[in-house]
Amino acid sequence: MEQNNKPVKYDLNFAREIYNLENGSYIKQCMQCGMCAISCATREIMDYSPRRLFNLIKLGKKDEVMQANTMWNCTSCCTCKARCPRGVPIIDVMHDLKKYAIQNGYADYPQAAFYKAFWAEVAGRGKVFEGGVTARYYLLRGLDEVKKAMAMKDVGLKMLKHKRMPLFPPKKIKGLGNLKKIIKKAQEIERREAR
Amino acid sequence: MMKYSLYPGCSMEATAQANLKSIIAVAKALDLHLEEIPDWNCCGATVASGVVGDFTQQVMTARNLAIAEAKGLDVVVGCSSCYLSLAVTNKRFKEDEHFKAKANEALAAGGYKYDGSLRVRQFLEVVINDVGFDKIKARVKKPLAGLKVAGYVGCQTVRAIPYEFDDPEYPVQMDKLMEALGATATKFPMKARCCGSSNAIAATEIVIDQAYKIFESASEGGADVIATPCPMCQLNLDAYEQMVNQKYGTNFSLPILFFTQLMAVAFDLPADAQALSYCINSPYQALASYGVAR
Repeated sequence: MEQNNKPVKYDLNFAREIYNLENGSYIKQCMQCGMCAISCATREIMDYSPRRLFNLIKLGKKDEVMQANTMWNCTSCCTCKARCPRGVPIIDVMHDLKKYAIQNGYADYPQAAFYKAFWAEVAGRGKVFEGGVTARYYLLRGLDEVKKAMAMKDVGLKMLKHKRMPLFPPKKIKGLGNLKKIIKKAQEIERREAR
Repeated sequence: MMKYSLYPGCSMEATAQANLKSIIAVAKALDLHLEEIPDWNCCGATVASGVVGDFTQQVMTARNLAIAEAKGLDVVVGCSSCYLSLAVTNKRFKEDEHFKAKANEALAAGGYKYDGSLRVRQFLEVVINDVGFDKIKARVKKPLAGLKVAGYVGCQTVRAIPYEFDDPEYPVQMDKLMEALGATATKFPMKARCCGSSNAIAATEIVIDQAYKIFESASEGGADVIATPCPMCQLNLDAYEQMVNQKYGTNFSLPILFFTQLMAVAFDLPADAQALSYCINSPYQALASYGVAR
């Protein structure tokens, strides 16, 4: 039997970049037990479970990791984080991976557009207006999504009928200027702290 | 009278107005005084950190705690996701000096400072621990006798800070609260399962598939209604129940209520406090025996 004895290529630069993210170094603590995989509410539709994704990071498989839907399908439900025997804050690592994916141009998943739309609302108003997030989301995603939106019109109409969807946004917070300064400074500090 | 600062959160002003109305009315009935944090801002939920990172999201959250610290009262949160943000941020201020120094450096840019002196608490926990089941029982005017309630605690309520006030795997405190109101808590293995959260817009299928498992579990337990503390859980189940039926060929028609709405019903508070008209799947039939008015 012929064996594949080709050595595995480790791209340690990618691994190092990920370890340097806010919660990235926790990945080194993963012992591949799979508790996260069996705990995950959306595991069935993930390309890789968190366990496998962490292993791919260790192996430096940048494209596999960044193109995976794993982090985008994570709902931050905290089940894996609460159970991880090594104390890896898995959902927080997933937040880092989402941020890294957006920053590095891997943002094709619809959830990435939703995240950007949500943040634009927060940064522009100090509060989230769900109608605004939805509108921004559809603008980012374009026409294809509008068809999907039509399939959802019954849900929207019912929400309107039961006063669940205000048509006008809340007022901007008074301290919006200060909030923006805080956010800007926090981003500077975070960049400074990342080695 | 016990006093608290209240952090409502964005959803309470939009999709979950029924939650805020019932929380305020129930608090008043239990002699709890809630003062809204002035000019509070969005906590960023679990979404902002996916764009700007945990640190920035937590600093943004901390602005609310900094404003609340002037009063020194415990901060009460209704929304599970807001609770996760505020409680985890607060914990870091208390336990991580390096984080606290950095966070205060950022807060100072806007003229704020937070010492980490406050407690962040969920309204569910405040009702259970500060008021207690005995006083709640005494306040009940229309016991919910015969009503079978699936207590859907959801994910972040009990797992934001595991074991803070309930078991993160199989929570029981809300069930006990329902029993204090005279209702029967049903067997409900999916009570702490994720509802799919913010995927409702971008990946609706996730929410529909999660909701199916939750409805199936609640139905098997014989529930008449589902009760939850979380605005996201309530909205996802309430808005997508019929889409679940379409996809899975099921016939679920369970009303989904905030636990505070059931408290308002049991306390015989006015219709505005019960806020039942906000429910998409009508709860009037299930609650008909308890004198609810449209």
